[in-house]
Amino acid sequence: MAAVTLKNVVKRFGVFEIVHGANIDVNDGEFVVFVGPSGCGKSTLLRMIAGLEDISGGEIAIGGKVVNNIEPADRGIAMVFQSYALYPHMSVEQNLSFGLRMNGNPKADTERRVKRASEILRIAELMKRRPRQLSGGQRQRVAIGRAIVREPQVFLFDEPLSNLDAELRVQMRVEISRLHKELGVTMIYVTHDQTEAMTLADRIVVLNAGNIEQIGAPLDLYDDPANRFVAGFVGSPKMNFMAAKVVGNDEGAAIVALANHCGAKLRKPLSGAPPAVGAEIVLGVRPEHFFEAGEGDCDIAVKADVAEHLGSVSYVYANAGPEELIIEREASRQRANGDQMVVSIKAGRSLLFDKSGARIR
Amino acid sequence: MSSRSSSRRSSARLGRGIALHLFLTPLALIWLFPLWMMVIFSTMPDRGIFSPSIELLPHGNFLDNVNNLQRDTNFIGAIGISVSVAVTYTFLSVLLTSMAGWALARYQFFGKGVVVAIILGTITLPYAVVLIPQFIMVARDFKLANTWVALIVPPLFNSLGVLFMRQSFSMMPGDLFDAARVEGVKEWRIFLFVALPLARPMLAALAIILFLASWNNYLWPLLINSKPGAMTAPVALGTLIGLTKVSWGGIMAGAVMLTVPMLVVFVLLQRHFVAGIAAGAIK
Amino acid sequence: MRYQNATAYRFLAPYLLIFSIFWLWPIISSFLISFQATRTVPWRFAPTFNWGRLIGDPAFFNALKNTLLILVIQVPVMITLAIVMAVLLNSPLLKARGLFRFAFFAPVVVGEVAYSAVFRLMFNLDYGIINKLLNSVGLPRIDWFSNVTPAMAVIMIAVTWRWAGYNAIILLAGLQSIPQDVYEAATLDRVSKLKQFFYITLPLLKPIIVFCAVLSIIGTMQLFTEPFLITERGGPGGGTETLGLLLYRQGFRSLNFGYASAIAYTMAGLAIAISLVQLWLTRDPK
Repeated sequence: MAAVTLKNVVKRFGVFEIVHGANIDVNDGEFVVFVGPSGCGKSTLLRMIAGLEDISGGEIAIGGKVVNNIEPADRGIAMVFQSYALYPHMSVEQNLSFGLRMNGNPKADTERRVKRASEILRIAELMKRRPRQLSGGQRQRVAIGRAIVREPQVFLFDEPLSNLDAELRVQMRVEISRLHKELGVTMIYVTHDQTEAMTLADRIVVLNAGNIEQIGAPLDLYDDPANRFVAGFVGSPKMNFMAAKVVGNDEGAAIVALANHCGAKLRKPLSGAPPAVGAEIVLGVRPEHFFEAGEGDCDIAVKADVAEHLGSVSYVYANAGPEELIIEREASRQRANGDQMVVSIKAGRSLLFDKSGARIR
Repeated sequence: MSSRSSSRRSSARLGRGIALHLFLTPLALIWLFPLWMMVIFSTMPDRGIFSPSIELLPHGNFLDNVNNLQRDTNFIGAIGISVSVAVTYTFLSVLLTSMAGWALARYQFFGKGVVVAIILGTITLPYAVVLIPQFIMVARDFKLANTWVALIVPPLFNSLGVLFMRQSFSMMPGDLFDAARVEGVKEWRIFLFVALPLARPMLAALAIILFLASWNNYLWPLLINSKPGAMTAPVALGTLIGLTKVSWGGIMAGAVMLTVPMLVVFVLLQRHFVAGIAAGAIK
Repeated sequence: MRYQNATAYRFLAPYLLIFSIFWLWPIISSFLISFQATRTVPWRFAPTFNWGRLIGDPAFFNALKNTLLILVIQVPVMITLAIVMAVLLNSPLLKARGLFRFAFFAPVVVGEVAYSAVFRLMFNLDYGIINKLLNSVGLPRIDWFSNVTPAMAVIMIAVTWRWAGYNAIILLAGLQSIPQDVYEAATLDRVSKLKQFFYITLPLLKPIIVFCAVLSIIGTMQLFTEPFLITERGGPGGGTETLGLLLYRQGFRSLNFGYASAIAYTMAGLAIAISLVQLWLTRDPK
């Protein structure tokens, strides 16, 4: 078992720098998820940890040992690929044992490890089959099994669930969680799906365009995002953003007026210095933080455009002046297109961001 | 759609179908004619070939013709050389071209662009340009004329095969090889135990094309292995064409022995054949 | 991907070794040899010896003329025929597709010597099946090998027979790579089958047609076996002598390597010119 440390890690392809100095400390036994939109550099980062990509700058250490110039096989890692990367011409058993056999591992030990992996993943009855005879979920299990067989210090997962249908994805997510508890080893997991990140991670690393936006526990990112990007990326549906203006200061609190809605002012207590009066800012409100008219600090009249009824709740996509808001409501068949409604927001349930997107705390 | 317009449509299709077959059938017969005549000639005695009557059906003289051919030149021996050379050549060439194709498809390395440019450049370079120095080198400098090495080694360089294998390997998912790398499998083992087994259909296509090329090769063996005991089958057969006192039934029997096995292979493995030839152009 | 120079070159080494010895050095060497007088021992450097002879050699111009004549007539005929074969073989209306494919593709596996022998026999003056058939329908028989024009015709017919199917295979693969929905869309737009061929198939197939044409031209330019065996060393009287045959006779009969190398480089020059035309024809439109 081992901790993984990234120090100022940079990746360049030719003149293009796609990872701009990443610093991440993954603790021993921790489950860390790298999440971000496609092209943010998360997979590249993972492949650099695996040793499949060269490190253009900085340092990666696994278990306290710098691995920049160490071959992938000698880093004590195992990797599960998005495409599963099962060898199509080998049986499940041969897939699991291939790496060990190729490296002259004693036969008895190989058999023991394969047996153990097949028991952990409950694939013992599939051992003689070829990958093409397996379902998507079974292939995924075999791919994970192949990683287990290596008895690695660190598991690396590269979007392992993105080829599965929704139901299987939930099931495998639980399975991977169970595996983490059972094996207790460090796991680094890459995904673009923030739900996966929220449900699996001890800590999440949010990446955007080669930069780390924030590192933190799932609910910390949700409750206390460092910037507008993280606030928008974490949580589903997305957080709503409304143009606003600072109209005054009051004992460490900012007095904020929405640009397009309600005359009332919001009083937002801040821990830091409040921004200058007159500054244009952005106010963020999550869909679930809209209240019935009059219950909050400020009422907003909206016109429902589309309503999605999910059963437990409904999401109303509404036009509010020039802005479009997503509002979570109690499930109701009544709501329909074109309905007028009034909702209310609370200062305590909103976040402030400056023009650059940084959080105003 | 009304039933009338649908029947009009189907009768138009029928008309076009008939026209298609009326045109294509005679063309196909013309195309098969030389092969058919080759077989007919090979079963006829010489006096039958050189008679005024039109003979379009097989006779029973094939084995006599084989004997006549064997009397004119040691054709069976030449076939033996041709088979051994083609088998060895095919094995070595498949290995060499797939190794090179693998490197070009799967590694990033200094000078890659140059290597690819060279290979592309040689596609359109006439073989004549290298023929003379090759001959001087092999015959005079290496003193290898009339040996198997001379027949096998110089033709080992081929460009379309490498491009075909490069294409085949680069179409495979890269994760597969990365997975093996993470497991500590050495590169040459990845090539041998992961890449090659996956490329089996492409290797089959390549092998067939290379075997055929070696089997039918004429100019180079004609130049370099001209001694009677060292000739390949096409060269041995070629020496008879144009001689006056020679059995033409025998020559035709030889042509049949060179051609019919390849036709059988072609029928059995048409898919691979077509894939191998088509791969040259379709990227 | 990581840079892996050592690994990559280990895989490339045998191939590049063969290339260096049997191609790279010969390419340079034959260029150098073409500037040497090679019929004296030792060879001596004489820059105008071979090239000077070349531009004044009627045998060379005869071979060049014959080669170009074959190129200009045979290649377009064959490519057209190959396109027709490919398009018709691709028709969904075709029955017994396997038989037709066999008929047109089978010549691909036939060796030059074998088919040269057959064609020679088929076009024999007195006993050839072609003349017998001509006679049987009341036409006069033709003395194929004693006159230049019919002898050239036999060469062209033979080469076309041997290679049309080969090109049809490549073109057919190209046709099958054209997505079917393009044709479905055109059919819905009431574009006739014939117009679909001219306005969809041909433009999309153009790079492959050009590729086939270039390979055919370069192959035909080096034509050797057919005039060597069918028309008996380029007969009648040099009437079917090609550059390939002239090179063979100069290089390997007269052992005049210098002159043969000059002929070889003339062919290379032609090939380069044709490749440039190909690049120009298939350039990406700006």
